[in-house]
Amino acid sequence: MLAYLARRALQMLPILLGVVTIIFVLLRLSGDPVRLYLPEDASEQQVAQMRASLGLDRPIHVQYGIYIARLVKGDLGESIRYRNQDVADIVLERLPATLELAGASLLVAILISLPLGILAALNRNRLPDLLSSAVAMLGRAMPNFWVGIMLILFFGIRLEWFPVSGRSGVASLVLPAVTLGASMAALLMRLVRSGMLEVLSQDYVRTAKAKGLPWRTVVVKHGLRNALIAYVTVLGLEIAGLMAGAVITEQVFAWPGIGRLAIQAINSLDMAIVQAVVILASVVVMVANLAVDLTYALIDPRIRYA
Amino acid sequence: MSEVRQPQRRTVLQRLAVVLLGLVLVASAGAQRTLTVAQTVDIPGFDPHNHGLTAVEAVITNVFDYLLFRDANGDIQPALATGYEQVDDLTWRFTLREDVVWHDGEPFTAEDVKFSLERVARDESLFEHDSFQQIAEVEIVNDHEVLIHTSGPDPVLLNRVSRKGADIVPAHVIEAVGWEGFSVNPVGTGPFRFVEWVRDDRVVLEAFPDHWRGAPVWDRLVFRAVPEDATRVGELLTGNVDIAVNYPSQDVDRTRAAGGVDVVSQPTTRIMMLLFNTADGKATADPRVREAVELAIDKDLLVEVVADGFGVPVEARVSPGVDMAPMKYYNRNAYDPERAVELLAEAGYGPGDLTIALQGPAGRYPGDADTLAVVQVMLNEVGVNTTLESLEWSAYNSRIWGADNVENIALIGLANSLFDGWFALRALPCDGSYAKRTNWCNPEFDQLLTDAEFNLDLDERARQIETAFDIVAQERPMIALFQIDALVGVSNDIEWQPRPDEMIWAFDIQPK
Repeated sequence: MLAYLARRALQMLPILLGVVTIIFVLLRLSGDPVRLYLPEDASEQQVAQMRASLGLDRPIHVQYGIYIARLVKGDLGESIRYRNQDVADIVLERLPATLELAGASLLVAILISLPLGILAALNRNRLPDLLSSAVAMLGRAMPNFWVGIMLILFFGIRLEWFPVSGRSGVASLVLPAVTLGASMAALLMRLVRSGMLEVLSQDYVRTAKAKGLPWRTVVVKHGLRNALIAYVTVLGLEIAGLMAGAVITEQVFAWPGIGRLAIQAINSLDMAIVQAVVILASVVVMVANLAVDLTYALIDPRIRYA
Repeated sequence: MSEVRQPQRRTVLQRLAVVLLGLVLVASAGAQRTLTVAQTVDIPGFDPHNHGLTAVEAVITNVFDYLLFRDANGDIQPALATGYEQVDDLTWRFTLREDVVWHDGEPFTAEDVKFSLERVARDESLFEHDSFQQIAEVEIVNDHEVLIHTSGPDPVLLNRVSRKGADIVPAHVIEAVGWEGFSVNPVGTGPFRFVEWVRDDRVVLEAFPDHWRGAPVWDRLVFRAVPEDATRVGELLTGNVDIAVNYPSQDVDRTRAAGGVDVVSQPTTRIMMLLFNTADGKATADPRVREAVELAIDKDLLVEVVADGFGVPVEARVSPGVDMAPMKYYNRNAYDPERAVELLAEAGYGPGDLTIALQGPAGRYPGDADTLAVVQVMLNEVGVNTTLESLEWSAYNSRIWGADNVENIALIGLANSLFDGWFALRALPCDGSYAKRTNWCNPEFDQLLTDAEFNLDLDERARQIETAFDIVAQERPMIALFQIDALVGVSNDIEWQPRPDEMIWAFDIQPK
C-alpha cells in the first residue's frame, strides 16, 4: 500500500509540470496584461516601463526558464494586481472559504441524493420514483446563476431568513451551498437509483429476503454498497471541480473563494495568480482522484492495491 | 449541610445579577454606528501609488490624506497643507498642518511628504508614476514646510497633489515593514484607520478619534466587494448595506418603489467616445464621412436607450468640474440625418455604397455593447452598411485597441483623473499614444498642446486648450458621444450626495 501511495505521489510531479507548462504558454499567447492593467490612454513610455519591470519583454523561453527555476524554490512569482504581496498567501487565503462551500455543497448534495435515490430505487416506477426523478431533473436543468438569484430573492430579500451575500458565518453558507448542491444532487441521485436497482433485482437478494434478513440490511449492505462505487467516483470528480472554484455561485453570492480569484486573474491576465491557482487545482484533483481510488478498496473487497 | 448550601445559592444569584446588569449596560451603551458600502471590486492593496482605479481610491482615501483635497463641489481645499504659494516657475512652497498624527501616534512631518511624493515621482514601476514624474524634488525647509521643485513649469501641480496617487504615507512605517507589510496593514492620517482586510470580501476600517478634522461620526466603515448587480441591489434593499455603487439603471424604479432607499445619479468624468482611423484608403479617411457619422447619431436617444437617460450628450471630451474644458461642447446633440446623407453624397457615397466596421468592448463600461449596437442602427438609417464586433475587454484590448489595429471606428470610455482639459487631449498629438490608431497628425494642434503644457499663464492656457479642442471637433480624429452618470443606491437613513470624483468620503456622510 505504501509503495502504491509513493508511486502515485511521484506520478503527480510530471503531470504538474505538464499542466504548468501548458498554462504558461496559453497565458502568454492570450494577450498583453500590461495594456489590460494600464488605463486606456497610457503613454507608450508607461507601457514599456511596466512591461520591463514585470519581465515580460524577455523571450518566452527565458521567461519560462526563470519561472520554473523560481517555482522549484517555492517562489510563485509576482502578481500584477496584488503588488508586493505573496502569491501563495493570496491563493491559500482563499482555501477556507472554498473548502467551506465545497463541503457544505457536498453535504447538501448527499443529503438530497441518497434518500431520494434510495426511495426511487425501492419504489421503482411508482409515484415516489417519478417525483424524485422530477425534482432531481429540475435541480439539474435550472442554471446555477438563476437558482442563486431566485434563492436570494425569496429567502434573502423577501423573507430575510438568510444573508444576501458574503461570507459571515453558517447562515451565509446556506443559500450558496443549496444552489451548488441542488444541481449535483440530480446526477448523484440517478447513480444511487441505478446502482441499487442493478443489484436489488438479482436472485441472491431475493434469497436474502426469503431467509428473513432485515430489509434494511439488504438495502444498505448489498444494494447501496453496489451503487457506491459509481457514486464515489462522481463525488470525487465533483469535489475536484468544487475546489477549483464554483465560479458562478461565488460571483452571485460574493463568496471570497478561489473561483472568483481565478476569474479576476484570468480577465486581467494576472499570470502568477492564474498559474498558482492552476497548480493548486491540479494538486487537489490528483489528491481527490487518489482518495477515490483508495475508497474503492474500502467499498469493494475485490479491489486491493499492491 | 443546608448552612453550607445557602451562601452558595446567594453567591450564584449575586453572580447572575452582576452578569445580567452587565448585559443590560452593554446593550444600552448605544450600538456601534457602522456605515457599509457595497462596491463591485475589491481593493488590490493599500499602496496608494500603485493601483490606478478610481473605485479603489474611493476606499483608501478614507485612510490617507493628500496635501490638498477637493471638496464635494470639486474646489480645492487645504488638507495636510494649510497654505501654498508659487515661488517661481519651477518652485512651489507648501506650508504643512501642525498637530497631525499618524494612526500609530507618531507626528506627521515634512519628511513624510518628501518620502511619498518623491517615491511616486521617481519609481518608474509604479502605476501612478506617469502623472507625477513632473515633480523633480521635494525639499524640506523645516518640519512643516516643503518646497516642491518641478522639472518644467507645471500649471496643474495643484491638481496633481489633490488626486489619487498623491496620498501621503508615513516614511517611518514603510522603512520598518516595507511595502510588503504596508500594502496589507496601512497607517495613514485619514479619519479612519485600518482594522482588517479579507480579500474579495471586505475592508473594515474604524474611526480615528485623533484625526485633525475631528473624529468621524461613524465608528466603523466597511467596504464589501459584491460583483453581481442583482446581489448588490438585494443588499441595499434588505438594508445590509447603506450605499451600493454602480447601480443597474433597470432597477432604479423598482428600488425607489421599495421605500427606505433611493437611487441618485452623479456625473462622472467618463465619456464614451468613438475613435476613427483616418488613414488613406480607409472608409473613415474622408473628414466628411466622419462628420456624417457624428450627425447620424442621435445622442439624446442613445443616452435614453443605453443608459435610461442617465447621461449627458457631449461633443467633446468635457464634463463639469474639469478645469479648462470648454463647456460649450457639453450637453450638445447635433443630430441631423439629412445633412449626414448629404455629406456622404458629397464624399461620393450613395446609400449602401459605404461599409464601416464598428469595434468595441463588451462588459467593460455600462452599456458599451448596446451603445455600439445602437450606433450601428443609426448609421444604417443614413445608408451606411456596417459590421459589428463587440469583444470582451481583454480580447478587444489585445487585438484591437492596444494593438493599434482599429479598422474604422473603435468605441472607448475615457475618464479624467487629473480634472484638467489638457489631459483630455494628451494622447492625440502626432507622437501621442493614439497616433497609430487614428493616423491623424496636425502640427498646429501639436504646437498648441506643447505651448499649453508648461504655460503658467492660466488664461492663455485656457485659450490654447480651447483652440485645440476646436481643432479636434472640426477634424474629428475622435468624437464624443455622452458623459456617463454614475448611479448609486443610497439608504434613506444617511445624508449624502455622490461626489464628481466618485470618492466615497465617509467623513462627509451623515446619519439622518
